[in-house]
Amino acid sequence: MRTIYILFSLLALTPQSSFAQTPTDGLMMPKGVICVLGQYSQNSWDEYWEGTNKRSNSNIGTVTTQNVMVMGNYGITDAINVMLGLPYISTKSDVSYLTGQSGLQDIGLWLKYQPLEVKSGFGSLKLQVTGGLSAPVRKYVGDFLPFSIGLHTPAASLRGILNYTTRFGLYATAQAGHTWRGNTKLDRDSYLYNGQLYYSDEAPTPNVVDATGRIGFINTRLQAEVTIDYFTCTDGDDIRYNDMPFPANKMTATTAGVFAKYFIWRGLALQGSYGKVLSGRNVGQSTQFSGGFTWFFNVCKPKEADKK
Amino acid sequence: MKKIKYILSLFVSASLLFGLNRCSKTVENPVFEPYAETNLDATGGNWKTYVLANGSDIAVPAPEDATSAAYLAELADLKSKMSAATAGQQDLARLWGANGVLRWHEIARELAAQYNVPPDYKDDGTYPAPDPLNPTVYPRFPFANPPYASRAFALLAVAQYDALVTAWHAKFQYSRLAPYKNDASIQPLIPVNDLPSYPSEDAVVAAASREVLKFLFPGEKPLLDEKSTEHKNSRLWAGANVQSDLDAGDSLGRMVALRVIAYAKTDKMGAANNQVAYPNLKADATARGITVQWTSRDIPARPPMLPFFGEVKTWNLDRPTLISVRPAAPPAIGTPDFETALNELRDMVKNRTREQFRITTYWADGVGTYTPPGHWDRRAAELIYEKQFNELRSARAMALVNTALQDAGVACWDTKYFYLLPRPTEVDPDVTTATGIPNFPAYTSGHSTFSAAGAEVLSYLFPDHATDLLAMAKEASNSRIYGCIHYRFDCEIGLEHGKKIGDFAIQRGQNDGSQ
Repeated sequence: MRTIYILFSLLALTPQSSFAQTPTDGLMMPKGVICVLGQYSQNSWDEYWEGTNKRSNSNIGTVTTQNVMVMGNYGITDAINVMLGLPYISTKSDVSYLTGQSGLQDIGLWLKYQPLEVKSGFGSLKLQVTGGLSAPVRKYVGDFLPFSIGLHTPAASLRGILNYTTRFGLYATAQAGHTWRGNTKLDRDSYLYNGQLYYSDEAPTPNVVDATGRIGFINTRLQAEVTIDYFTCTDGDDIRYNDMPFPANKMTATTAGVFAKYFIWRGLALQGSYGKVLSGRNVGQSTQFSGGFTWFFNVCKPKEADKK
Repeated sequence: MKKIKYILSLFVSASLLFGLNRCSKTVENPVFEPYAETNLDATGGNWKTYVLANGSDIAVPAPEDATSAAYLAELADLKSKMSAATAGQQDLARLWGANGVLRWHEIARELAAQYNVPPDYKDDGTYPAPDPLNPTVYPRFPFANPPYASRAFALLAVAQYDALVTAWHAKFQYSRLAPYKNDASIQPLIPVNDLPSYPSEDAVVAAASREVLKFLFPGEKPLLDEKSTEHKNSRLWAGANVQSDLDAGDSLGRMVALRVIAYAKTDKMGAANNQVAYPNLKADATARGITVQWTSRDIPARPPMLPFFGEVKTWNLDRPTLISVRPAAPPAIGTPDFETALNELRDMVKNRTREQFRITTYWADGVGTYTPPGHWDRRAAELIYEKQFNELRSARAMALVNTALQDAGVACWDTKYFYLLPRPTEVDPDVTTATGIPNFPAYTSGHSTFSAAGAEVLSYLFPDHATDLLAMAKEASNSRIYGCIHYRFDCEIGLEHGKKIGDFAIQRGQNDGSQ
């Protein structure tokens, strides 16, 4: 899910965090348990970085991206989870005459594997590995930034996650991942990249490296955490002065956020998050929030789920 | 557990394969390969020129005889330079050997794209104007918008063409054989032909292109010098010219460029952005009964793009003719015809298909691109390469197309600022667009006028492509309706107008002595 967010947010000039049983957190579903996530998130920005230069633009105004995400997570075993997610995204600006875009974006499939869990009297250490694939479900417009809902590329990701949770419920999670992205197929057959004119309808969409640190508290009813998130494209050029962004730009962002989740009844929990981009390059300085629910069912009870 | 591990490893390896497969992101540009020109157009020195009086207007001094000590020394020098050429230099010999005329247009298109960015507004809400005397200071000079680019490509093409006509005249006057014909031990790296080598057509093109582009993109002098030197040296590395071929060509190309630049300095482009006189233009329109007038959609309002480009000197028709073919007035705002056109766009906003969006983007050629004239300049180059024209005939084709494109731009700008019709979004803000709204009046569509003129001339030059070229022009025109930045009548009348403008270039082509 996080991968999806990174992908969509890049093109919308907006990094965004998400918090749940996701490809990037330290949590696992026990065998036979299904967790369904439904979430609405929104981010907006009125300042962005053109290369490393931060600016506003009265012709762009405030750009708002709305995202409705449905995601499922199933515990094949206690150590192997499979996840499937698909967001619906909509973009608009309060002043621009350019038509905002909306629609289903990229479907993502992840496998999460926990090869190591070391328990002691004080707590437990877990190591997880996630591999994911995503692909656009429809032919949306990728080269219409900052209003595209995605870059319209297939992607594959690999990441490692380390989590330590004390028996008092305090925990820390660190994760890092690499996302390989296919080149973007453009609707046009020439473009400037790094100052050079290319005669091609294929733009070199850069790969992404990201990392997250989380510190939080979790018990049978409540989870709360603070996060710091970083992502960067491994290649790409800068938006030229007063030009439009392009899928091959080098986008970078550091985002700070908070997240909380509370079980209200059996397997049903409500969750919410808030985040803000602290620094970036070729992205909007977005403020973002999300609200949603998770629902655990089948053989699982919420307590069991959370104990994991 | 074993099974699960198997599934997992399968999944991970699939991911890796998928990822690695996509790792190669390098996008390669298509490269023109050198070819042997079959038709040398031996009478090309008599073809009609644009700025020069004729092909003997500028005299080229006689070369040294092929048996002279000076020439023999040049041959020896050529052989030593060929054997010393690195692999990289040999690649450059083949790159420039493909067709120097087209290669310089490629450079011009790249510069146009780099310089095609409107200046940002200042804190006080005004816009800075590029200053030709300080071209590297922001906002860089020029702002290579479509009219500027159309004139740039035309001046480049005209300079190349006039210089090559003169070169052809001298070539067949002196008939100096190519070095590889004078010395059988020279094995050129590129295909050979029977064209006399003095003065070098490549040096002529390099110098003419370099000087004209320096005038048009004064902040790029170092780059242009580097490319010109590379182009000339490529002929030595290729074994295709001796130094005196190149020196004579450079001198000729430079002299022709100076004449073309002198023409350009008096073509009224200098007054095309006269914002001080714009209120008078508006007052004139008001006096003609045009009371609802276009305003900028940019925030803050940006001064109109080149309001007097419509008065710039044209190539293939005179001013009275230009006025006589100016389209009639568009439907007045509020009339049924106007409402029908606006309603089509209101529907388009709601029902635009993915294919219509694709077409909008494909032809947009907006900020950061080589502009619509560049799109047709590129198409012309591709067709010339397909037909393997010699340098002179290539330059003729590029000149016919690009002068027609500039004329189309002038004629269209004249129309735009005569009628000052607001853009659809100005009349109805609910008409949102799929591409940027250009900062000048709607009627008629520049894309339509440029494209019809370009397609018309290219259809004359490449009749076997006429069907697809005219279909491209129609699609380019429609793209502006799909994007909701033009009314249908802007586009349809623009196409008709552009076709008429193109026909003037064809008339010239039919009478330039090249048949």
